[in-house]
Amino acid sequence: MELYLYIALFSPLVGSMFAALYGAKPRTKIAGVVPSALLITSLIASTILLAHILSTGEIVHVEMMTWMATGNLYIPFGFIVDQVSVTMMMVVTLVSSVVHVYAIGYMDHDKGFNRFFSWLSAFVFSMLILVMSDNFAGLFIGWEGVGLCSWGLIGFWYHKESATWAANEAFIMNRIADLGMLIGIFLVYWNTGTLQYEGAFAAMQNLDTEILTWMGIFLFIGAMGKSAQFPLHTWLADAMEGPTPVSALIHAATMVTAGVYLVVRSNELYALIPDVGVFIASLGAFVAMFAASMALVNRDIKRVIAYSTLSQLGYMFVAAGLGAYWVALFHLMAHAFFKALLFLGAGNVMHAMDSELDPFKMGGLGKTMKASMVMMTLASVALAGIFPLAGFFSKDIIIEAAFVEHHFIIYTVLLLTAGLTAFYSFRIIALIFHGEERYKLFGFHPHEAYKFMLVAMSPLLILAVIAGSLKMTYFEMVTAVLPATEYHLHSVTTYWIMTIGTQIFVILAILYAYKKYANSSIKVPDGTSKMEKSFVYKLLINQYYIPYSYEQYLIRPYRELSTIFWKQIDMKIVDASVDGIAGIIYGTGEKTRAMQSGNLSTMLKWMVLGLVILLSLAVVFGLAARHFDEIKVILSGLGV
Amino acid sequence: MEIGLNHYLVLSTILFSIGLVGVMRRKNLLLLFFATEILLNSVNIAFAAISHYYGDLTGQMFAFFVIAIAASEVAVGLGLLIVWHKRHNNIDLDSMSTMKG
Amino acid sequence: MLDHILSILIFFPALAAVLGFMIDKNSIRAYGVSVAAIEFVLSLFLWFSFDSSISGMQFMEQIPLIPSFGINYILGVDGISLFIVILAAFFTMIGIASLTDTKNVKNMIITLLFLQMTMAGVFVALDAIVFYIFWELSLVPMLYIIGAWGGPLRIYASVKFFLYTFAGSLVMLVGMLFMAYFYYQATGQWSFAILDWYRLILPETFQLWLFVAFFIGFAIKVPMFPFHTWLPYAHGQAPTIGSVILAAILLKMGTYAFIRFSLPLFPDASVYFMFPIAIISIIMIVYTAMIAYAQEDVKQVVAYSSVSHMGVIILGTFALNVEGITGSIFLMIAHGVVSGALFLLVGVIYERRHTKMMSEFGGLAHVMPRYATIFGLMLMASVGMPLTINFVGEFLSLLGFYQQSHILTLLAGIAIVVGAIYMLAAYKKMFFGELTNEKNKNLPDVSKRELVALIPLSILTIVLGIYPTPILKPINNSVESIVQLMHDKSITEEAKTRIPNLAASKGIEITRTSMKEAH
Repeated sequence: MELYLYIALFSPLVGSMFAALYGAKPRTKIAGVVPSALLITSLIASTILLAHILSTGEIVHVEMMTWMATGNLYIPFGFIVDQVSVTMMMVVTLVSSVVHVYAIGYMDHDKGFNRFFSWLSAFVFSMLILVMSDNFAGLFIGWEGVGLCSWGLIGFWYHKESATWAANEAFIMNRIADLGMLIGIFLVYWNTGTLQYEGAFAAMQNLDTEILTWMGIFLFIGAMGKSAQFPLHTWLADAMEGPTPVSALIHAATMVTAGVYLVVRSNELYALIPDVGVFIASLGAFVAMFAASMALVNRDIKRVIAYSTLSQLGYMFVAAGLGAYWVALFHLMAHAFFKALLFLGAGNVMHAMDSELDPFKMGGLGKTMKASMVMMTLASVALAGIFPLAGFFSKDIIIEAAFVEHHFIIYTVLLLTAGLTAFYSFRIIALIFHGEERYKLFGFHPHEAYKFMLVAMSPLLILAVIAGSLKMTYFEMVTAVLPATEYHLHSVTTYWIMTIGTQIFVILAILYAYKKYANSSIKVPDGTSKMEKSFVYKLLINQYYIPYSYEQYLIRPYRELSTIFWKQIDMKIVDASVDGIAGIIYGTGEKTRAMQSGNLSTMLKWMVLGLVILLSLAVVFGLAARHFDEIKVILSGLGV
Repeated sequence: MEIGLNHYLVLSTILFSIGLVGVMRRKNLLLLFFATEILLNSVNIAFAAISHYYGDLTGQMFAFFVIAIAASEVAVGLGLLIVWHKRHNNIDLDSMSTMKG
Repeated sequence: MLDHILSILIFFPALAAVLGFMIDKNSIRAYGVSVAAIEFVLSLFLWFSFDSSISGMQFMEQIPLIPSFGINYILGVDGISLFIVILAAFFTMIGIASLTDTKNVKNMIITLLFLQMTMAGVFVALDAIVFYIFWELSLVPMLYIIGAWGGPLRIYASVKFFLYTFAGSLVMLVGMLFMAYFYYQATGQWSFAILDWYRLILPETFQLWLFVAFFIGFAIKVPMFPFHTWLPYAHGQAPTIGSVILAAILLKMGTYAFIRFSLPLFPDASVYFMFPIAIISIIMIVYTAMIAYAQEDVKQVVAYSSVSHMGVIILGTFALNVEGITGSIFLMIAHGVVSGALFLLVGVIYERRHTKMMSEFGGLAHVMPRYATIFGLMLMASVGMPLTINFVGEFLSLLGFYQQSHILTLLAGIAIVVGAIYMLAAYKKMFFGELTNEKNKNLPDVSKRELVALIPLSILTIVLGIYPTPILKPINNSVESIVQLMHDKSITEEAKTRIPNLAASKGIEITRTSMKEAH
């Protein structure tokens, strides 16, 4: 089995390096095909590992080599495939295989084709390291690695100012969170003496709650950055500057869920500190609602889906915070499928519309892009959580869990958010595919994507539809390592009322969205309608003015302070005082050089003066030494 | 009145003062050398007198050293002086200011 | 040969430099490269025959110079100095190999060979006076390099560099003399041998004063805030090769000396000054990183980033535990590789455009993809991406200091954020965006000669990031013995608790390698 582990882990790396060989060369299909093939290899190896674990329940654990060893610190490159990581591996390899194949078509005309695949495969490799590592340091490697690849891919079209800005923003914001994570890792090391999950979690059972709380908080700060939780969320929406396959893979299905994975992986820690768990859940619920509200009005389809991702991450954190780790992981998996599908569908639309992103300029695309429409609609249905698609099984159980755990505020928030989710998802579906064909006004000629791209998307479609049915198998598998809490309501009646009530609520929201946006009276908004002038709309379209205030109150002062530090403090104070000291010495010389008139007799006079001074000093000191006792008496009389 | 150590030292001091004034006031390089010789010899007197007073020969030894050094100094100094005179045709101290800082 | 390999390492380049005056101008480059290559091979041979299980000094040599004052020519290497010596030889080699067409190339190569002698000397000298001589001698070639081949402000920069560091060193010299005098008082014998000094336990007040004296000398060299202002001038004016050697090796003399002198000689003072120094390091890290962000000249960005990274090194050193000190030594090597490479990279573009202002560039990734890739790699190494060489050092340094203070480590950890900010901003300004400047449209990508230097550095950056063990292990052994020595020597309660007592089995190897074995 170890062989399969290595194959699963390293074939993306090989693919990445292969594509990198063609990095500076003109685009060639082979740079896309080979990494894709290698990823499928990785997928197959992961599947074999999954089958192995399902059948035997054995955990595959290897230690490849030492990474760092000094003092008492010992960090190996160790990899573990257990029920949790194999789930993640399946999600990662599956979605990335689909995205790779899809991208061969999507990036067809891009001159950075080869570079794209190099980055994309490198990302998959980092993500696999992240999920497969058996210690925190290895996790951190993957953690930073995905951050790096995300930087490279968001800024992939580096000639665009907005793209490179977004890339840097994402990287730096993640770095802030990574600092928290690093501190968390230090805390783990100095308190447990090891960074291996196994030993660390075992040692944590005997630690003070206070220390554990700090550990939990700092590790979670790391998770907040990667999973774009408030207040570090702004990068995710801006990250949509990257090519759409990237958004599908990194900013929907895999990387952003790394935070959830971290919390799930550290479940033994978080189980000891339920207070932090409640905080995580509350923040999750807040973000779910917060992000959904921004998605309501946005006029960029990719951003809407990004906010939706953010909102769903909130759901996952609610589950993880409340101790329903397997639920969080399950929703992570299901979400990966339908959200990636949604993004790839959006990619098709973008391709058809020459990278136009405003859904108000589309409309009626369903006629030309039937397959994409079906896929996106189904993905949205899954996202909204309609029976029997994946979202129903994964998302509703989170809402139920909140109810069962008696967190009714969280429950209410999540329920409302479910309605909002349905509304905004179908708002863009309606705007894109239904209603008048507004795009004709702008002279677009939409066309359906390549066949093989649609075929590539189909596994996701199938999974988005049927993933719910895998729930019980999954539950049995993953609870071997995660706490097995089943969330059943005490009374069957309440269960049915709640489930059906939720379903009706969500369906009503969908119908409302259709009614409002699928009719023929929709116009491209021009900022004159009453709604657009309302305060709430302005607040939401400006993302609660958060990016603005970051720019205004953090970035700008930082830039100004830097300049002040350089020009005022470093140059005018620190350096000037050094030069000042040198200047004093130099100035003394300059002043006294007049003494050096070059006239021998003047100099001899100076010499005699010096001699006299020295002689008189000698006399004074000699006298002072001789009459030391008397002088002491006089001095003490003076009170010295 | 017997002539004691103090007399020699007074003589030495007087000679030294004369030499010092000479060193400071003279503008002629040659006279400057004379003044220097007076200075050195005043010290020699003091050395010899004190040496005799303590019955220790070290002082007289030093006096010989000083004489030797004075001789060599004058030799070198006069050599330089001649060269200077050949070039500039004078030995006036005020005209020598190439060492001006 | 092994008995005298250190002397050979020191004097071979010096001899070669003297002979270099007789070499024809056209073949001097080949001559320089081959001399440096032989030197590098010798240093590798040193590593090869180095026994990494021994924590004490190896290959010791001793020749009396002034026996009545205990001044001897004593050399030796341990895990701490070994890799810096190799790095110095390595950088001299690739520096000469990648030397662009400069005027008076013959003088430049001869100067570099002299510089190599002094660098080797500083890191292997085990006698304070010999150390001091090489320490000061190393200023001269650098002064010459900056002053003769520098930019428009070269005279100001070189004089500032020389006088500033020289003034600091004088204070250090006074400290050394006093230390030797104290040794004389304690034992009745003069000795300037560092290993002898190690055995001396000083009263706390003496330690504090001596620590300060040594500190001033080292801190200016590092350079620590607020003594850092000579560095931007020196880097700004120095030719590429000068900056490379300065950043890669010469700055490491300060941090190396902290570990060689300050820590083992004055353990109590080190503990006493730990927090003030940590605060200075944090200022260095954050403040200079912010200054780097404000720069308009890409070389100044790298220069200030050096100061920022040196802050992390100092912090790791004053963690006073094995993890931290090992990390800081590793980071010295890492920073040498990475900042050396960054300066070379800046040199590449300067060579083409004769400007270093970032506003002149933009969109370079379109025309120079290979250059952008290598620069990107070094950028990522510089911001401490895991699996690059810098991360290992930074991680260990911060990890080590975390044991001493949580809150200060958190503040110092801001390094990873601010580092990313200025580096990414600079990279964006230079490489991203549309290619607007006409002059940049036809720039050639990196040439073969430049790749000769950059490829090995890139490989080192990644390989040592993935597999640092061959370097970490010897460092670790020597550091363990130093930490144990410090623990045993310390007299105050606080120092005893701050400096970990390693398992008794690990013992003190340093004192066992006494002077007698050297004979």
